[in-house]
Amino acid sequence: MKKWLALVFAFALLTAACGGSSSDAADDSAGADDSAGTDDSAGAAGLDIDAILAADLENCAEAPSGDPIKVGMAMDFSDVVGFVDIPGSKLVPYVAELINCSGGINGAPVEVQVQDVGNDAGLAALELLDWGANFLIGPPFADFALPILQTTEGQVPLFVAASTEPTLADAANNSYLVTFDDNQMSAAAANWALDNGFTRAIVFTEGEGVPYTGVNPDVFAATFTDGGGEVVSTQTYVWGADTDFSSQVNEIAGISENNEIVFSAALAFQVTALRGQLEGQGLDGLTYIGVDALSATGIVSQDNNEGILHTPHIAIEPGDRNDVLLAGFEAAKGETLDSRGFMGLYVDSMFLGIQAMLDCGCSEPADIGEAVRAISGFEGLSGTITYAGTNGIPPKSVPIVRVENNTDVLVATE
Amino acid sequence: MIELLQNLIDGLGRGSIYALLALGVAVIFGVMHLLNFAHGELITVSGYAGYAAFQAGWSWYLVAPLVVVVSIVTSLVIERLAFSRVRGASDFTLLLTSFGIHFLVSAIFLMYVSASVKSFPRPGWVANTYSIGPLTVEVFDTVVIGVTIVTLAVTVAILQKTMFGLALRAAAADFDAARLMGVRSDSVIRGAFALSGFLAGIAAIFWLMRAGNTTPTAGSDPMLKGVLAALIGGLGSLRGAVLGGLALGLAEVLLRSQLPASVAELTEGVVFVLIALLFIFRPQGLITVAHAERV
Repeated sequence: MKKWLALVFAFALLTAACGGSSSDAADDSAGADDSAGTDDSAGAAGLDIDAILAADLENCAEAPSGDPIKVGMAMDFSDVVGFVDIPGSKLVPYVAELINCSGGINGAPVEVQVQDVGNDAGLAALELLDWGANFLIGPPFADFALPILQTTEGQVPLFVAASTEPTLADAANNSYLVTFDDNQMSAAAANWALDNGFTRAIVFTEGEGVPYTGVNPDVFAATFTDGGGEVVSTQTYVWGADTDFSSQVNEIAGISENNEIVFSAALAFQVTALRGQLEGQGLDGLTYIGVDALSATGIVSQDNNEGILHTPHIAIEPGDRNDVLLAGFEAAKGETLDSRGFMGLYVDSMFLGIQAMLDCGCSEPADIGEAVRAISGFEGLSGTITYAGTNGIPPKSVPIVRVENNTDVLVATE
Repeated sequence: MIELLQNLIDGLGRGSIYALLALGVAVIFGVMHLLNFAHGELITVSGYAGYAAFQAGWSWYLVAPLVVVVSIVTSLVIERLAFSRVRGASDFTLLLTSFGIHFLVSAIFLMYVSASVKSFPRPGWVANTYSIGPLTVEVFDTVVIGVTIVTLAVTVAILQKTMFGLALRAAAADFDAARLMGVRSDSVIRGAFALSGFLAGIAAIFWLMRAGNTTPTAGSDPMLKGVLAALIGGLGSLRGAVLGGLALGLAEVLLRSQLPASVAELTEGVVFVLIALLFIFRPQGLITVAHAERV
């Protein structure tokens, strides 16, 4: 009897062991299948961004050990664009931590190296290439992005994360914007003004054709005029510096009907200063609309900001992916990042590069570039991104938000 | 005509702030032959102190004196940590030292505080206006002009009626002779930096009230304006500094309003061309200052 019991017990153990083994085998097999599936059709599977954002740094999966995916960030830490590049260069390594914590990309860890472009963006790029970067994330203005492109000679994908400069987009040269460009942004502002019954506009510019500070007003004025509106006054100013608009205000006071829309690419503190002086002259019926510079420089934290409209890259809603990510960073690092509306662009830059690597199953920068150019319908933190059939500027809708009680409220999408 | 008068008042308001900045530059140059390119950093540091005070719930009534105190203290600290080490060195060394401080302070705020704009509320009355006949005058301009006149009067009184003022003027005329006559160089130089900090502090209040924000490079523009105004007026001349400041403010406002719209964006460039022309015909600036050369 004992022998029978022993045999039955042994059989049960064997069955259990086989069952466990079978289960493990099935898991392994699934893992292998997943892996194979990822290799073959990763684009279809895509990155599981929500799973990455949900990673718990206190309770990570087994550390990935494959060949690392190397992300090079050549960032401008100067006062010019440090307000976006500095927080961006903190957030991307954090997201890499989250990726690695959740097991990496098909078992491969993501490594991020940040280089301050200093006075030599080309050298910074060269160091990142020597390090073995698979793709680069670059600064927004041409002064530094162009030297990087000269260094890479179009062989390495470059995502100019926070840029709206249309001339920086050149898919053939492996250079990509991650968001809409100046043309889309300012045309959207003009169309919103026309849709809302404005027929007269006052435009502030730094000069015709000046990148960003002049191009945006140019586009706004052209679109507004083409749509039947009239630019009744064009004023000049020094972008980023002027806060005393006395002479411009004196001139506007002589022609305004107190119902115009005032457009500029000015910074938040400039727009509120201008508004204060115009209102001091009794012009309190004007409507102010600006571009992404307003979210970059904290329009919601300014005084005298109620009702000002602008075009941020990402209209962050409580509890959405961007909000979750930024809250997670704050909890993990004890730091609140500036320029929140731009941060998703930096993370998307990394995700797009990784997605391209998954799509092509390759790690050579030139091959990755091919895959980037084929990306279509990528659902990132900053919206849907498509490069296929474009010159490197993803066609994205432009949110128009209005500041209400120190909060951005979405009023339209153009 | 009305617009011209309006612009003249606005130009005087803007020029008054430049005059205060230029005076601070002139005081230091008079004593040390130092063209202080770190002068704007007094506004940068004061701006961040003001921002911190606003974050703590302070109002402008408390922030304004804080800005002046911080500016004076910063000026003295810079003198102690940097300029006292190179006292007696060549003018070029002093100049490079001031550039070094300028960049260092900016970099410290950039790296350890934030590259982002830090905003704070402007006083409610900054944009208020009142009418004089057909003219609309900004309360802000009126206050700036008034405070500048009072500050200049106090400065003149200090320079003319006190022993420190006498020592400072003596040192400005001939530093070595003044020392031989018993003037204590340390006291004079520190006093000059304190006075310069005080003047920068008053200017900073109005600069920050108008700007409503601070950044790591907030001091660059006021530094440039102050130095330019001092150069226009004649380096070392206190009267010249005031004249230079007013001239610069008026030129900026009038040119922007009078230049044709198609070239209005060249205003800053035209101002510099005018300054260059001034130096061609009057290299010593508006006011000639006689200095004893150190050998």
